[in-house]
Amino acid sequence: MTSSELLVTLLSVPLACSLFAFATRWAGDAARQLATAAHLFSIVVVGGLALLAASKVLLGTPLIAGNHWLYIDSLGAIFLGLVGVVGCLTGVYSIGYMSHELEHGEIDTATLCNYYGFFNLFLFTMLLAVTANNLIMMWVAVEATTLGSTFLVGLYGQRSSLEAAWKYIIICTVGVAFGLYGTVLIYSNAASVMSQPEGAIFWTVVLENAKSLDPTLVHLSFVFALIGFGTKAGLFPMHAWLPDAHSEAPSPTSALLSAVLLNCALLIIIRYYILVSKAIGPAFPQTLLMVLGILSIAVAAFFIIVQRDMKRLLAYSSVENMGLIALSLGIGGPLGVLAALFHTINHSLAKALLFCGSGNILIKYGTRDLDAVKGVLKVAPITGILITAGALALGGLPPFNVFVSEFFVITAGIKAGHPVLMIICLLLLTVVLAGLVRMVASTVFGPSPEAVQKGELGALTLLPMAVLLVLMLVMGTCVPQSVRQLVAHATSVVLNSDEQPDTQMALPWQSPEQGKKDEKAEVSAASAPVAAGI
Amino acid sequence: MTGTLIVNNLAGLLIVTSLMVIGAKRPTSSALLYALQSLVLVAIFLALAVTKQAEELYLWSITSLVTKVVLVPYVMYRALGSLRDPEADGSILSMPWMMLAAAITVLASFLVLDSVRLPAITDLKPALGVSLAHFFLGLLCIVTQRNILKQIFGYCLMENGAHLTLALMAYKAPELVEIGIATDSIFAVVIMTLIARKIHRTLNTLNVNQLTALKG
Amino acid sequence: MMQTLALATILLPFVGAALTLLAPKTAAKWLGQLFALAATISVATLGYQFHLAGQMPSTVDLIKIGDTTLFGLTFDSISTLIGFAVVFLGLLVCVYSSAYLSEGNREHPHEGRPRYYAYLLVFIGAMAGLVFSSTLVGQLFFFEITGACSWGLIGYYEKPKGLRAAIKALLITHIGSIGLYVAAAWLFSATGTFSLSSMAGLDETGKLVVMFGILFAAWGKSAQLPLHAWLPEAMEAPTPISAYLHAASMVKVGVYIFARGIISMGNVPHIVGTVGVIMAIITLLYGFAMYLPQKDLKRLLAYSTITQLSYIFLALSLSIFGSELALKGGIAHIFNHAFAKSLFFLVAGAFSYTCGTRLLPSLRGVISRLPLLGVSFCVAAMAIAGVPPFNGFFSKYAIFAAGFNLSHQFILLLPLMILALTESVASFAWFLNWFGKVVPGKPSAEVAAAQPVPLPIKLVLVVLIIMTLCSSFIAASWLG
Repeated sequence: MTSSELLVTLLSVPLACSLFAFATRWAGDAARQLATAAHLFSIVVVGGLALLAASKVLLGTPLIAGNHWLYIDSLGAIFLGLVGVVGCLTGVYSIGYMSHELEHGEIDTATLCNYYGFFNLFLFTMLLAVTANNLIMMWVAVEATTLGSTFLVGLYGQRSSLEAAWKYIIICTVGVAFGLYGTVLIYSNAASVMSQPEGAIFWTVVLENAKSLDPTLVHLSFVFALIGFGTKAGLFPMHAWLPDAHSEAPSPTSALLSAVLLNCALLIIIRYYILVSKAIGPAFPQTLLMVLGILSIAVAAFFIIVQRDMKRLLAYSSVENMGLIALSLGIGGPLGVLAALFHTINHSLAKALLFCGSGNILIKYGTRDLDAVKGVLKVAPITGILITAGALALGGLPPFNVFVSEFFVITAGIKAGHPVLMIICLLLLTVVLAGLVRMVASTVFGPSPEAVQKGELGALTLLPMAVLLVLMLVMGTCVPQSVRQLVAHATSVVLNSDEQPDTQMALPWQSPEQGKKDEKAEVSAASAPVAAGI
Repeated sequence: MTGTLIVNNLAGLLIVTSLMVIGAKRPTSSALLYALQSLVLVAIFLALAVTKQAEELYLWSITSLVTKVVLVPYVMYRALGSLRDPEADGSILSMPWMMLAAAITVLASFLVLDSVRLPAITDLKPALGVSLAHFFLGLLCIVTQRNILKQIFGYCLMENGAHLTLALMAYKAPELVEIGIATDSIFAVVIMTLIARKIHRTLNTLNVNQLTALKG
Repeated sequence: MMQTLALATILLPFVGAALTLLAPKTAAKWLGQLFALAATISVATLGYQFHLAGQMPSTVDLIKIGDTTLFGLTFDSISTLIGFAVVFLGLLVCVYSSAYLSEGNREHPHEGRPRYYAYLLVFIGAMAGLVFSSTLVGQLFFFEITGACSWGLIGYYEKPKGLRAAIKALLITHIGSIGLYVAAAWLFSATGTFSLSSMAGLDETGKLVVMFGILFAAWGKSAQLPLHAWLPEAMEAPTPISAYLHAASMVKVGVYIFARGIISMGNVPHIVGTVGVIMAIITLLYGFAMYLPQKDLKRLLAYSTITQLSYIFLALSLSIFGSELALKGGIAHIFNHAFAKSLFFLVAGAFSYTCGTRLLPSLRGVISRLPLLGVSFCVAAMAIAGVPPFNGFFSKYAIFAAGFNLSHQFILLLPLMILALTESVASFAWFLNWFGKVVPGKPSAEVAAAQPVPLPIKLVLVVLIIMTLCSSFIAASWLG
C-alpha cells in the first residue's frame, strides 16, 4: 500500500462507517447489529492502519499525501498512534458499555446508532487533525472535532448533559475562532513574504520560510493560536468546558475526549510552537507555555483535592496533565520536549483506563458521587484492582509510566535552571496524588452497599482496561525501542533539528545501541571507594 | 475616493452593524441585521477585488453572499424565531458602555497592529484593525449577553472578523480553504442552534444564568 | 552470577505477587511464603558468593540509555548485609502472617486476602531493589513503590481511620521523595549520569543540593522531624506489617539511602553533618517525650522506632566529620534494630492474637501464662534499650564511642552526645518500668484467658530472639 492509499483508507473508513452507522437507524431490528458491526470494523481498521502508518514513519521518511494536504512526520505519528490505540480500545469498551446502557433503557436503538455514528465521525475528525499539513485544514479539523463530539456530550439529553454540551460548543468554537485568527495571521504573513504564495498554506512550507515572517504578527499569531487550541487542549484559564463535558459524556467518550482530543489540540499547539520558535526564537512561546502550564497544574490540583464527583476529578486531572505537558514544552531543550511527548503518551493511556473504570462504576452504582460509591473491590474486584492501579499510576507512582515522564519533566526543569518551579510543581503533584488516592480509598475500599448487585460487567468492559494497564506497565519499566526512537525523532522535529542538541547525553534516546535489561551488562569494579574500606 | 478608502470606510460600517446585532431585542431582528452586516462584508470583498485586481475575491464574495447573507440568517430566522425567553434578555453592559468598549477595542487593535511592517497591507491597516476589533467585539457579545441565542450571534461576529482578516491579508488562498471555513462555521451555527432549541425545549429557558447545574 | 542472584531477589517477589493475585484465594499465603523463601535463598546465596569473591565492592549497569545508566546493581558489604536483613525479615513476616491473619485472631479475626501477600511480596522486592540500586533513579523508583505498597498495607483493614493513616503515610513520604527527585535531577544535570558513584565529582553547590535532597527524603521515610507524623498513625496497619514496614524495611529506606549517599560522595560538606546531628538530637528528644503518654504497645514502639532511627541519623551524620566507627556503628544499628524492633512488634502482635489486646495496662503476669512471649518481650526491650549481650548494645556503643571521640575535635558535640546518652538511659528505665508491670506477677484477666501461641508465630519469635543475640556479631564480622 502506498502512503497516500494508506492515509486515504485510514481517513475514509471511519467516515464511511460513521455515515453507515447513522443510516442504520432506518434498518429496523437489524439496526443495532449493523451499527455495532460497522463500528467494530472501523475501530479495528483505524487502530491497525494508524500503527502501520506510525511504523512506516519510524522506518522511513515522513509520509506526504493528498497534494501535500496530509503529512505525518514522527511527531504526528506519535499522536496518530495514540488516536489509533486509544480509539480502538475505547471503541471496544464502547460496545460493552453502550449495549449495557441500551439493555437498561438508558438510551434507545436510534441513539445507539447515532452514538456509533458520532463516535466514528469524531474519530475521523481527530485523525484529520493529526494528519493535516494544510494550516487551515488543521483549524477546520479541530473545529470539526468539537462539532462531532458535541452530540456525544449531550447524548443523554438531560439537563446537565445539555448544559455541558452548550458550554462545550460555545467555549470551544469561540476558543477555536481565536485559533482561526492565529492561523490566518500566520498564513497571510507567509503568503505575503514568500515568492510562491500558494505554498504558504502548508505547515511544512511555512516552516522552511519561518525566518522571513514579520515578528509582530508571529507574536500575535502564537498568542491567538495558544488561546485557541489551548482552549481545546484544556489549559487554564480556558479549561472551563472540560470538566463539564468530560463528566457528562458517556464514559467511553470521556476517555476519548480526555486521552485523544486534548492531544490533537496539543499537537497543533506544538506545530505552532515549532513555527514560532523558528521565526522568533523559543523564548516567547516557552514563557507563555510555562506560565499557562504551571497555572493549569495549580488550579487543577486545587479542584482535584476538593472534588466529590469521580469523573470531574478525572477531568481536572486532565487539565493538570495538559498543564504538565505545556510546562515541559515550556522548559524546552531536548529533555523537556522529550518529557512532554512521553507524558502525552503516558497520560493518554492512564486517563483512558480510569475513565473506562469510572464507566464501570457508574453503571454499577448509578452515581459518580465519591460519598456514595463504596466497596468496588467487593462488588467488582477486577474493576477495583484496575482502578486502583490506574489511579496510583496516574498519581505518578512507579512501576507505572507516568512516574517516568514526570521524573523527566522534573529533571528537564532542574537542568534548565528552574529548581524552585520544579519543587512547587512536585508539591502540586503531591496534592494531585492525594486527590487520586483519596478517590480510590473512598470508592474502592470499604463495605459495599446492599443495593448494588455483585459481579463484573463482562469481558468487553474489562479487556480494554487490562490492555491499557499492561501498556502502562511496559511504558513504565522498559519502553519499547520503537517508541523510544519515535519520540526521539519527534523531539528533533520539535527542536527543528538544525540546532542539534548540545551533547549526545542530552538526547540519550537517539544513540542506536541501547542496552536493555540483561543485554549489555558491564561490570565496573570498585565504584565506591569508601565502601572498600568497610 | 480610492478603493482602499472605500474598504476602510466599509470596515467601519461593520462595527456599527455589529453593535446593532448585539443591541437588537429579538433574535429575528438580530438575524436580519446579521444578514445586513454580511452584505457589508461582501461589499468589502468586492471593493477589495476591484482595488487589488484579485479575481479570487469575486468568488469569495459569491460564496459569502450565499452562505452568510442568505443561508445562515435564514436558518437562524426560522429556527430561532419561535424561541422566546423574556427573562434572558439583557446584558451585563448597557448599550452606551458597549459602544465605549467597542471604541476601546478598535483603538487597542490599531495600536497592536501599529508595528506590523508588511508592505501588502500598509494602506489597509485601518480595515485590518477593524477586523481584529470586530473579532473581539463578537467575544464581548458572548461574554456580556445573558441570552444564549445572542451568544450564537456573537460567534458569528467573531467569525466575520476573522474572515475579513483573511480577505485583507490572504485573498490568494485556495478557494477550498475559504469553503472549508465557511462550511465549518455554518455547521457550528447549525449545531449551536440545534442545542439551543433542545435546551429551550427541555429546560424552558434561554438564560445562561439558569445553566448552573454543573459547578466546581 | 551475583547479578543474576540480585535480579532474582528483586524480581521473584514481583512474579510471586502477580501469581498470588491470579491464583485461588486459599493459595495466597502459601505462595507468599514460597516466594519470600525463594528470595531469601537467593539473597543469602548472593551474600555467600560475595563473600567467596573476597567482598570486593562492584557495580553492574543493567539498564543503560546511551551512556546514562538508569538502573544498576551495587554490591558491597553494606548492600549485601542490609539486603539480607530486609528480605529475610520479609520471609519471617510472611510466615508469621500466615498464622496471624486467621479467623483465630482475637483482635482481628480475619483470613488474609491475596492482596495482602501480593503487597507484601512487592514490598520485599522493592526493598531489595532499593538496597542493591546503584543509581539515584533506581532508588527513587523503588522508594516510590514502597510508598505505594505501604499505602495498600496500612489501609489493609479498610477502616476509615486506617485508610486515612495510609494516605498520610503515602503523602508524607511522597513529599520526602521530592528531595530525591531534586537530588537525582541535579546530579543528572551536573554530571550527565544518575550513578551514585558520580556524586563524588560534584562541585560544592551540587554536593549540598544532592545531599540535602537525599537527607530530606531520608527524613520522610525514616519518620524524622519534621516529616515524622505518619509513623504513629500507621500503627493502624496489621501488626506483622508494622513489624516489617515500621521496624525492618520502610523506615530503613531513609537511613539506608543517606548512608549510601555519604559513602558514594566521599567528602560530604560538613554543614550536612551539622544539620543531620541537630535534627537527629531534636527528634531523639521528641520521640522520647512521646513515649511517656503511650498506653498502646504499638504506638510506644512507633515512637521508639523514631528515636532509634535518630540514633542512626546521628551516627551517619557523625561519619560525615570523618568517623569510620560512626558509619559502621550506624550501619550495624540499621541491621540490629531491624531484628530487635521486629521482634518487639511481633510480640505485640502475638499479644493481640492470644489475648485480644495490646494495651499495656491490661497485660500483666505474662511470664507465667505465656512464657515465650514474656521472654521475647524481655529480650526485645533489653535489645532496644541497649543492654548487653543483646545486639542493640554493640551498635549503640560504637555510635557513642565515635561521638565522644569526635567531641575532642568538635566541642559542641559533647552536650549533644550527653543528651543522647541521657535519652538512652531514660528509655532503658522506661522499658524496665513497663517490663516490671507486664512480665512478672499474677496474670490479668486477658492474659489468664489467653489462647496458645500458634506454631509459626512461635517459630518466628525464636528465630528473632536468636538473631537479637547474634546479629551484631554478624554485622561486625561482615563489615570487617
